[in-house]
Amino acid sequence: MPTITEFINTFWVGSIYFLSAVGLTISYRVTRVLNFAHINLMTIGAYTAVLLSLSSPVHVAFAIPVVFLVGGIFMMAVHFAVYSRLMELKATPLVLMISSMGVWIFVKFFLYGLLGYLQKAWKVEMYLAKPRLIVGGEIKVEGLTLSGDLFTALALATLAAIFLYVFFSRTKTGKALRAVADNPDLAEISGISHSRVMYITWFIAGGLASLSGMMWALFAHATPELGDTLILQLFAASVIGGLYSVPLTTVGAYTIAAAENIVIATLHETIGLEVSYRPFFAFFILLVVILVRPPLGAGGGLPYRFKVLRRLMRR
Amino acid sequence: MITFDVIGFLLSWFTFFSIYAILSMSLNLEVGYAGMANFGKVAFYGIGAYVSAYVSMSIFLSLAGLNYPLYSLEATMAMVKLASQNPMLNVSVFILTLILAFLIAGAIGYVIMYPTLRVGPAFFGITVLSFGELLRIFLRHYEPTGATYGLTGIPHPFAWIEDVFVKNLLFTSVTLIILILLFLYAQRLVNSPLGRTMLAIREDEIAALCMGKDVPKVKGKVLFIGSGMAGIAGCILAYYIGSINPNIFVPTVTFDVWAMMILGGIGNNKGAIVGAGIITLVDRATAAINFVFPGLIIDPNFIRWMIIGLIIILVLLFKPAGLIPQTYTWTPAWKIVKPLEEKAKRRREKLLSPFKKISKWFLMGG
Amino acid sequence: MAPILKVVNVTKYFGGVRALEDVSLDVEKRAMVGLIGPNGSGKTTLFNVITGFYPPDRGEVYFKGRRIDGLNPNEIFKLGLVRTFQNPRLFFNMSVWENMLVIPQDQKGESLLKAPFTRLWLNEEMEIAKKASSLLKDFGLKDFVINKVSDLSGAHIKLLESARGLMGKGEMFLLDEPAAGVAHTDAHKIFSFIRRLRDEYGLTFFIIEHRIEVLMDYVEYVYVLHNGRLLSQGTPEEVMRDPKVIHAYIGE
Ligand SMILES: Nc1ncnc2c1ncn2[C@@H]1O[C@H](COP(=O)(O)OP(=O)(O)O)[C@@H](O)[C@H]1O
Ligand SMILES: [Mg+2]
Repeated sequence: MPTITEFINTFWVGSIYFLSAVGLTISYRVTRVLNFAHINLMTIGAYTAVLLSLSSPVHVAFAIPVVFLVGGIFMMAVHFAVYSRLMELKATPLVLMISSMGVWIFVKFFLYGLLGYLQKAWKVEMYLAKPRLIVGGEIKVEGLTLSGDLFTALALATLAAIFLYVFFSRTKTGKALRAVADNPDLAEISGISHSRVMYITWFIAGGLASLSGMMWALFAHATPELGDTLILQLFAASVIGGLYSVPLTTVGAYTIAAAENIVIATLHETIGLEVSYRPFFAFFILLVVILVRPPLGAGGGLPYRFKVLRRLMRR
Repeated sequence: MITFDVIGFLLSWFTFFSIYAILSMSLNLEVGYAGMANFGKVAFYGIGAYVSAYVSMSIFLSLAGLNYPLYSLEATMAMVKLASQNPMLNVSVFILTLILAFLIAGAIGYVIMYPTLRVGPAFFGITVLSFGELLRIFLRHYEPTGATYGLTGIPHPFAWIEDVFVKNLLFTSVTLIILILLFLYAQRLVNSPLGRTMLAIREDEIAALCMGKDVPKVKGKVLFIGSGMAGIAGCILAYYIGSINPNIFVPTVTFDVWAMMILGGIGNNKGAIVGAGIITLVDRATAAINFVFPGLIIDPNFIRWMIIGLIIILVLLFKPAGLIPQTYTWTPAWKIVKPLEEKAKRRREKLLSPFKKISKWFLMGG
Repeated sequence: MAPILKVVNVTKYFGGVRALEDVSLDVEKRAMVGLIGPNGSGKTTLFNVITGFYPPDRGEVYFKGRRIDGLNPNEIFKLGLVRTFQNPRLFFNMSVWENMLVIPQDQKGESLLKAPFTRLWLNEEMEIAKKASSLLKDFGLKDFVINKVSDLSGAHIKLLESARGLMGKGEMFLLDEPAAGVAHTDAHKIFSFIRRLRDEYGLTFFIIEHRIEVLMDYVEYVYVLHNGRLLSQGTPEEVMRDPKVIHAYIGE
């Protein structure tokens, strides 16, 4: 049977996935770029926290805004340097996606090189680091330690959710973002600055993902591959949200976290499944979602129904 | 000595060039013609390599009546002896595994991706990328193929030739011939009604569907061929390096192939080959730099990868068509179109006119 | 004579938004029928349901007596029902010539095994090419064969869309605002051309237009949609006089 730890980890990891996946979802929804550079953001966030706390531990309340800013500014810079130019050239979503892949590779190995350099120059272990953040609020209940990291992750996820809800439904800018997402041409006519909407979206998406990276580094540790190891989970969570819906992305993030913690622990005990097969769950969920509830509409897609499915669906 | 090294360099470059050219050509069929962002190319490359290694080693060992597990040291040792005994066997196993790699990789490509053909390119890209990663994770845990250590002792088709140089020359020539054959096939494929339909799907798959094209079916066909070709590349790789393990088939391989295709020109087979040529050459060169200047403060490998990323971004930004841009699909139907013929004739004349002038000049002078 | 297209009680909701409610209509063979209605009244959605883009929530669609709701768009095209889009969707980076040649169904050269061997599909290809070339002549597009579609003018693109439809076995055409964004005089040119096509090729046309006036001289029968419901139907004169229609249009 899964222990209480697995349940705790589900919420912990789920919150981290949520922070990152929600950025992926909103950035795709507004800009129509499937942003592979999103993966870099988590690594960047983690290492920003590591570098901040290199000489002496810093308080998490200080790290959070800094990490958010770094991620947000990084993503705005990428948009400025690459995406905005491609959009001016009327590039298709396919081309934008490919370019984001180029950014991903470039930044990933740039980070590798930079960290390697720092490691040699400063003589500190960089390829496997841990940010030293001061996080209070540890609770001990009946021999069980609930760390402050956990509460920070939960709090950040909750705050992000509330913020996004208020932002999209109450503020003028948020409504502009939604308008652009639903109908780019119409939004242009009604005088909303398209370019500003893009930058704001990237800032939010980048900041959230970067925070998520920091939280992951606290949960596990920071490595240059940090983002890469979580690709599948993030994308799967976003796909469950149809790359469109924030609430469904939330469901996706926690579902995958549950599958990876609770379900795998159960299977490990009952049928001896190796824990390292973890990513298969996310993939399985992804396939099921694509097959059963294909996210057409937002992500493009064909108005086409396979014969077998059609027969099954016909009531 | 030095001349020998140059030839050795050329041979290894040509072999890697052929392997990557096949990969980038297959990716070009999928992306450049049918508009399917295959971010999991490496999976089918890996399947081809593993199928070849597994089948060839099993055949050799079972013919010799040995039943060591393939990944065991005994098997590897035994393979060294067995591989150089029977030329006929070596060559026929090589051909058999080429075919098997093509069919199995193709079939898996067709099966795995069929469910995703209906969703947009974003979802398709994610799914295949994940598939590639999962396959690697799976192989790292799968005992029969040696888990993380992989398989060693894949029988080189020309292991029976003593002279290493002749052996490599022969192998490189064979891979080049395979490349040429596949190139001719791909060229004929894209300059046929099927190529035209693929291009239409890339342009606007919804319009193509409304114009009566069974889009998922066509995409399935393209994926079969594309994955099959990647399987062939994997097969050649397995025989060339003699031992394979899961860490060869990381996602970055896919991005290499993408960079080649984008650099050469999306939607042009020749471009895919030119791109592969350039990048593999740079690659071999960086390997040399690595050798000449050891202990650089930044690993040249990282710089190499940054260059790959930059190539993708810069080409898309400044020369989206690549080095050799896409052209029309040249089916015989063009013959009916008069104005085109005239235009071509005029262009030919224009091209020839300098030569005519020169030849006139020679005639007058002489 | 049985109608070539029959729509029975079609209802379609998007989430909570009603796009179509209980729409029933018939189109006779070789007729030219109009579908009018203010913007957002569900005209395009009706076309999308007929051509298999969306399955209807309720209701049935018959084409040539065969039930077609639930079929895929490509299957419906093969039956001879061709549609055009409000924003033309051609293969813009391909030549006009390729845009024509690509259309015919189930070409031999589309098979994976036959495609590399030109001999196997050469004859068929040449027949297709002849048909395409004569159609392009009829449509006055002969001079543009080697041009990319993206280089064509708007009017030529509209022409090419219809020409392309005829490359298949199109019997009935659903035209979504063929004269959108076109001045009145040019709109008249387009509609008279459509009428000529109808007479020459024996086709049936079902045409969306949101301005009533321009369509009236050309169609025999008109359906009026308003907020997803069929508001009125009849000959153009009857519809023009219908107070409900006048109200809907003035109310807009
Ligand atoms: N794919 C869709 N998703 C949600 N709502 C849609 C969709 N397509 C159309 N609608 C809605 O259906 C209504 C009818 O739209 P449409 O058929 O395009 O009108 P028309 O073509 O008459 O201008 C509109 O309110 C529109 O917002
Ligand atoms: Mg409309």
